Amino acid sequence: MIRALPLAAVLLISSATAAVAAQTVKVQLPCDSGYQMLSPTGAQVLVMCEDESVYLVSLPDGSDRLLFPAERRTNSFSFSQDGKWLAAGFHDGTVELLPAQGAAAARRWKADSNRIDQLYFFADAKKLFVSAMNHPGTIWELTETPTLRATLQDKFGGVASVAVSPDGKLLVAGGGDTVVRWYDTTTWKMSHEYDGFLLDTFALIFTPDGKYLLAGGADARVTVFDAASGKQLRQLPPQAGASVGDIDFLSDHSEAVTEYFDNAGEKPPYRLVWNLTTGNSTPVQINFNPTCGSVIQGTLWVCNTDGRTLTITQQQ
Amino acid sequence: MSFSRRELLERCAAFGAITLSTSIPLSSLAYTWDAAEKKLPTPTCELGPFYKRQAPNTSTLRAPGDAGMPLALSGTIYDVRGAIVPDATLEIWQTDNLGHYDIDGYRYRTILEPGGKAGYAIETVMPGHYPQRVCQHVHYLVTAPGHKPLITQMYFATDPVFDGNPDKNYTRDPLLTSRELVRPVMIKGEAMQVTAVVNFDLVMETL
Repeated sequence: MIRALPLAAVLLISSATAAVAAQTVKVQLPCDSGYQMLSPTGAQVLVMCEDESVYLVSLPDGSDRLLFPAERRTNSFSFSQDGKWLAAGFHDGTVELLPAQGAAAARRWKADSNRIDQLYFFADAKKLFVSAMNHPGTIWELTETPTLRATLQDKFGGVASVAVSPDGKLLVAGGGDTVVRWYDTTTWKMSHEYDGFLLDTFALIFTPDGKYLLAGGADARVTVFDAASGKQLRQLPPQAGASVGDIDFLSDHSEAVTEYFDNAGEKPPYRLVWNLTTGNSTPVQINFNPTCGSVIQGTLWVCNTDGRTLTITQQQ
Repeated sequence: MSFSRRELLERCAAFGAITLSTSIPLSSLAYTWDAAEKKLPTPTCELGPFYKRQAPNTSTLRAPGDAGMPLALSGTIYDVRGAIVPDATLEIWQTDNLGHYDIDGYRYRTILEPGGKAGYAIETVMPGHYPQRVCQHVHYLVTAPGHKPLITQMYFATDPVFDGNPDKNYTRDPLLTSRELVRPVMIKGEAMQVTAVVNFDLVMETL
């Protein structure tokens, strides 16, 4: 069994072999691609090709394997937090769970009649949140035959974002109806809801200590909630003309990196690092149009492509 | 009191309210009537990222001087049995003619309550194209007690993306889920004062 190497370890190896400069990994992709997703350990990158076939590429050696040919019509992906499993959602409403490493058997099931838009692993990788276009979110037990555990009702519009608290006791979902709902993961009953947003929430994340919940979306700002009560505590300044697409924490948990996308689609996405204590932000300086990026072990890594060469760079 | 089609036909025939000049059995007539009245639900599309709650109630979305060809958009809300849905609430939103959604305010957004006749009509402009989407489109959200929420989008047969042949080319927009959502556009008025006219009926599924 291949053990997942953290990207930092991979980089040390890469640096030692002089294959790549420190803090940068370069690999050859099997296809032209405008979309990639780094695994949480940095050991792999999922690559969606322009013809919509999907590959998994190992880092840093660049070996790849075809996961799905174009005709399978994938739409959404999620890695488990340990990077060992990958879930894929399809246009026909099916979900496939397959090992990102190792040779465990894949599981495939019909989770919905609509296109699968959201997938989210619980920390133990034993449960998976699934939501389909315009349909309520569902919780699946990842047993030999995945079993529907709960359906989380909303008014309309499905789910735009989801997060589970570090202790696994709370699930929070941002609905297409713009309402954010808190669920008790023991009973799957809604404990409270926040309807103060008029626009969608695209990103939700708990602080690592589980005390706070950060939400961001089309209102262009990050809102901080008390995680347990759902009470809104504060809002960070908005970014004109942009929506918050993603939020993650850096190794200093008082700092959050937020990704913004231009509402008009005319400018490339950009990132700010927010100091949650002071409320001040500093831009992440990138002189290219990133094709993927995520925080791995507390550090932001950003990708860009030049032809079929993928460069993944650590940001200071 | 409500009757099935067959019961209604039988009662009308019994009381002389209709005269049948055909040898077709009443049951077959009722079946044919039912089939003619039933409607297929409107295909659904995604809600999209820029839905905004609490839009104003207005049928005039276009302001004087707004860029873009004026668009008169109307239709009726039915259920799958072909009956109108009188207690529906209809939300419509779109970009301006340059392809921009109003996120900060409520331009080109409305909530309508069509009422007893379940009809709606708005005055707006042709929406623009924008980088993330291939086709011009108008968003709809229809809710009504006892019915599934209907989330869909309406497209224009005149969209240059279709090259004049939406039957063949509607799949050029990967988010366009059905040819039925591409509606014909009638141009009315004189030169310099033309209006695009589109009818888009909506059919809701019952719970």
